[in-house]
Amino acid sequence: MRRYSRELSVAGAFALLLAVLAVFAPGFYQPQPLLSLATREAPTLVVACGMALVMISRQIDISVGSQFSVCGVCAGLLAAMHWPLAALLPAAVGLGALLGAVNGLLIAGLGLPSIVVTLAMMVTLRQGLNLVRQGKFVDLPENFQWFGLPQATGQWLLVGGALVCVLGLAAALRHLAAGRFVYAIGSDAEAARLAGLRPRLGTFGALVGLGALTGLAAVMNVVQSPQVQPLAGSGLELKVIAAAVVGGVAISGGRGNLWGVLAGVLLLATISPALTHLRVEAHWERAIQGAIVILAILADGAHRRWGKR
Amino acid sequence: MTLRLLRLGLAAALLAPAGAAAAASKLVVAMLPKSKGNAYHMSCVAGATRAARDLGVEFLFDGPTDSNAAKQNEIVENWITLGVDVIAVAAENREGISTALRKARRQGIQVITYDADAAPDARSFFVNQATPEGIAQALMDDAARLLGGEGEFAIILATLTAANQREWQKHIEARWKARYPKMQLVATRPCDDLKDKAQSEATALMSAHPNLRLIMAICSPAVPGAAEAVKQAGKTGRVKVIGLGLPSENRRYVKEGVTDTVILWKTEDLGYLTVEAAVALARGTLKPGAQSFTSRALGTLQIQGDNILLGKPFAFHRDNIDQFDF
Amino acid sequence: MKPASRDWPALLLRHEMLLLYVLIAEWLFFYFAGTTVNRRGVIIGFGTLDRQFDILRHSCEIGLLALALTPVILTSGIDLSVGSILGFCAIFLGLLWRDCGLPLPLASACTLAIGVAAGGLNAALIAALRLPPLIVTLGTYSLFRGLAEAITRGAITYTDFPAGFLFLGQERWLGLPAQAWIFALVAIGVWLLVHRTTFGRSFRVIGYSPEGARFAGLPVDRRLALVYLLAGGVAALAAIIYTARLGQAKADAGLGYELFAITAVVLGGTSIFGGTGTVHGTLLGVAAIAVLKNGLACLPVVMRLNAAEELAGLLTGALLLLALAAGVLPRILPVRRIFRRPADATPPPPTPP
Repeated sequence: MRRYSRELSVAGAFALLLAVLAVFAPGFYQPQPLLSLATREAPTLVVACGMALVMISRQIDISVGSQFSVCGVCAGLLAAMHWPLAALLPAAVGLGALLGAVNGLLIAGLGLPSIVVTLAMMVTLRQGLNLVRQGKFVDLPENFQWFGLPQATGQWLLVGGALVCVLGLAAALRHLAAGRFVYAIGSDAEAARLAGLRPRLGTFGALVGLGALTGLAAVMNVVQSPQVQPLAGSGLELKVIAAAVVGGVAISGGRGNLWGVLAGVLLLATISPALTHLRVEAHWERAIQGAIVILAILADGAHRRWGKR
Repeated sequence: MTLRLLRLGLAAALLAPAGAAAAASKLVVAMLPKSKGNAYHMSCVAGATRAARDLGVEFLFDGPTDSNAAKQNEIVENWITLGVDVIAVAAENREGISTALRKARRQGIQVITYDADAAPDARSFFVNQATPEGIAQALMDDAARLLGGEGEFAIILATLTAANQREWQKHIEARWKARYPKMQLVATRPCDDLKDKAQSEATALMSAHPNLRLIMAICSPAVPGAAEAVKQAGKTGRVKVIGLGLPSENRRYVKEGVTDTVILWKTEDLGYLTVEAAVALARGTLKPGAQSFTSRALGTLQIQGDNILLGKPFAFHRDNIDQFDF
Repeated sequence: MKPASRDWPALLLRHEMLLLYVLIAEWLFFYFAGTTVNRRGVIIGFGTLDRQFDILRHSCEIGLLALALTPVILTSGIDLSVGSILGFCAIFLGLLWRDCGLPLPLASACTLAIGVAAGGLNAALIAALRLPPLIVTLGTYSLFRGLAEAITRGAITYTDFPAGFLFLGQERWLGLPAQAWIFALVAIGVWLLVHRTTFGRSFRVIGYSPEGARFAGLPVDRRLALVYLLAGGVAALAAIIYTARLGQAKADAGLGYELFAITAVVLGGTSIFGGTGTVHGTLLGVAAIAVLKNGLACLPVVMRLNAAEELAGLLTGALLLLALAAGVLPRILPVRRIFRRPADATPPPPTPP
């Protein structure tokens, strides 16, 4: 229990929010809108898991939003060319992995600082996409939405898929040697290297993994509507980093787990509809999100200072 | 070393066109849309490009690709030092851009605005697709028509800071309060120009306001976003969707009956008219105080004060949406 | 082994010097490729004095933010919230002047204080509570921007400032744009602080090893707090200039500026890990980016493609990556020494630019 105290506090905050909604806005609890909300946030959850991996290994990647946009547009264009899903999905995931590998080569291979490299990538990818696409939507073929399945099935499939992702990655982090390596690299890369691990390979792997998950998330997003907006994914990096931080993943590496990330994603995703239900004006939203991130960081600091006694 | 050589080589390669440009004696029209990543603005630019070709003038356009508020000013100032002949701007920040436009006028460059106006002393004419009141009234009247004059409705706009969005919202609320007291505006939410966010907002709005009967989406990506939300919630027909958007982005939803009306104006015509007016202004054939303007493609148009009116907003419905491909 | 001061090859190949060469090359390139004569016979484009002044005016706010960030990054910290603090302060300037009726000089002074207070939140969390700067400033990035939006409900814009105030952002004083003088003052101030005072020298020490600095007796926490307070104050100054330049104050002021500022600092040779870097490097970085952005818009090719904005972004990103990679090359090249024959006692050639 103690080990998960940080994650439990986030879950507690989320439960508190849910309680407030239950009392003041019980209309929040309707099955269809909740399912739609969960489906909308499923891609974010997948990317947040990848981001957590990267953050645990003591790096950061602020280009995920642009990667998401690029993969989404490419997936849309392939779909418009009538590629079957079995070919389209690996292609998008592969593209994401490729973008992640570029980051990985620069960061792990050349040892460049991750924030600056991914900053440059973010700008380059975003502007490149603008140049090529000029904001024009990509129209998808008729049967592409929800994989051609009925809406409810498609939604449950996406939500389930995201949860399976979380479960799988959490299990891998816990039980696979590769998972433990990620924590080791994040805690102390030099010690890991002396212990015979290869930190650079691990960092590279985490960044490629994040890219691949971003590609997957982009496809999960694309199947939810009949058009793809090139701007989609803008601001995603902020969302997932905030979710990871709120969920207890430390930027200094070596700490955090995916359950916290799940709680963080749930909490932050609920803020916006909660405000609508509680009749709070829209212009408070960003301030509230910023405040939550600060509170989470403060909780981290307090936990580290006083929690150990 | 390599970098330097590369750059010198590029300089040599590109000097030739620079020399050629020096000999050109075409009028230079520069157009500044609000942003380049928006299909609405790009279709205005498409019309403008066509007009430039028809009229035999040199055409430049540039615009912010992100939300940097000061970018428009910087682009105008760039053009001032480039010595263009006319600048046509869709103002993102009314006061902010006026500063730069006044400077342009002082340097002898003609200025007109289109789509979103600047301060009146900063430009000679404003090519107005329709007045903000006209647009707002068209939206509000259509909403009232669909709801029979009573019921709850909500507005989704792009951002809380965009000037023309707030202007439309102001006029919509004025029209609502003046004419349709039995209707109720329950919420106004931003979508950051993102279709997906508009979809989430619409879903939340429908579940937070069970009696909501209409969503008015006044930013173009929000119209398909809201429509998709209504469709996914299974409330097609019970919650109406109308908005300002492009026919191409909404065709599917209009045909399926999810979206009832998409109001816009012919954006290509707006762009075309803007360049025509700009050229006429630069050549001296359009002078302040004129009452009407004759366009090659659009006939004779009315000038109200210093507003060149494209006409009334145009409503796209299921029966006519196929005629347009922008 | 030649003494360092006479080691000309090494001196000429330092990062800042390489950046200076790039800047000069850039400038010359745009001068020759981007200057033409228009149909009225007037010289237009990059090579005009007006254009150069424009470059100066447009880069003042980002330049100020980059100057504010340099000490922060030197201490191996980072401040992603400077752009949001700019917006936050711009709002307060408008509010204090219009709604509270304060005269502009007083309102400006209060705005500076508010900027310092905003930086104080960062300082409290980072220096006092020892929380990681990246995440703290990510949070304050949203918080300050959000507060600016909340206070103005997104919609309120403060305009109609008096001409005396607008002079600051739009007119020239003694031949140069007015804000250039302020920028020069701040630049000199920050340079002196970082390079000539022991106080400022400690930034690099702290960045290189905070623990070592503590053991050496430096008041690390106090110094860290001060750099963030300084960053907030300079961001407030940038807000005042921004408002004067545009003639309006809105909640979205300065959106996106922090990224360009960080790019300029890193381009200038300051390591994001802290410990090394110079203020003149930052200034060169700001100049390089400003010249790139403005110069591209003057090229006929770019004008025909109507892609000035996108290309500026693409090239800035590429330039940043190149600069980072170039900084790392010296570490990689020595690997070649393993493959040299032991008989070759000659030292390896200096790293090519």
